[in-house]
Amino acid sequence: MTIDDLRSNMDAASLGVSHSLGATTEPSAFAAAVVPLRQIPPTHPNHPLSPERLRQIDRVFFGPFFREKYGAGGDRALENSRIRYYSPVQPTSNAGELAGRRYVHEFDTATGLTRGWHETLDRMGNVRQIRPERLDGTKRHYQFDGNGRYKGSW
Amino acid sequence: MEVDLQAVRRVFEDVLNGCMLREQADRWAHAVVQQEETGVVTYAPPRERERIWAGVMYLYGIDMMTAPNAYLHTNDDIRRGMTASIGVIGDEVPNDNSTVS
Repeated sequence: MTIDDLRSNMDAASLGVSHSLGATTEPSAFAAAVVPLRQIPPTHPNHPLSPERLRQIDRVFFGPFFREKYGAGGDRALENSRIRYYSPVQPTSNAGELAGRRYVHEFDTATGLTRGWHETLDRMGNVRQIRPERLDGTKRHYQFDGNGRYKGSW
Repeated sequence: MEVDLQAVRRVFEDVLNGCMLREQADRWAHAVVQQEETGVVTYAPPRERERIWAGVMYLYGIDMMTAPNAYLHTNDDIRRGMTASIGVIGDEVPNDNSTVS
């Protein structure tokens, strides 16, 4: 099992999935401000979006919602229509090979769902631990070795 | 829900002074993040929004551990994190003990 396997297998509900504000279908009590949208080249139907294209769309339409809040440390568009926003790494001086932790916020552009988790990184930039949280507040740490192999949880 | 810089600073200082568990600070920050997602958080004063949010995001996850009963961060880390995020230096606090009491 690898980190990505684990992330894929996680039940969405266990990660505090919520609908983003941008994807809500509830009628707003306020009139929306009219904001001119930037033009982007059209997408061909039935053509999967490349990460570059996804990122381009994200920057035009969703950037202000997520990047400002969660993406100060960067962002990454995945092949599965999801975009991950990374907080800056908060350094530690206490943990040997570990460099620090960061919060990751993931937005699924296909469903409008979001989820987030905390992770720790080693000094090589490898993710060594992730900590998702269930809706009931239960936290669990999942640990990985330097090659991304699952070691165990507690 | 209104959040101001003093409230964020107070949480940092309470953690550093041992008056608040890191788990409680994480829950406080989590509540702010959840409220922010629903768009009901206001920042006072509004011009400090960026610093307030940076402090909240530092506190969110401040209880990360490397092993059971061993926190990732030392108190010195947290002190530096407070200064880097909200830009203030707290009162003198006891020296570090990063294990769970």
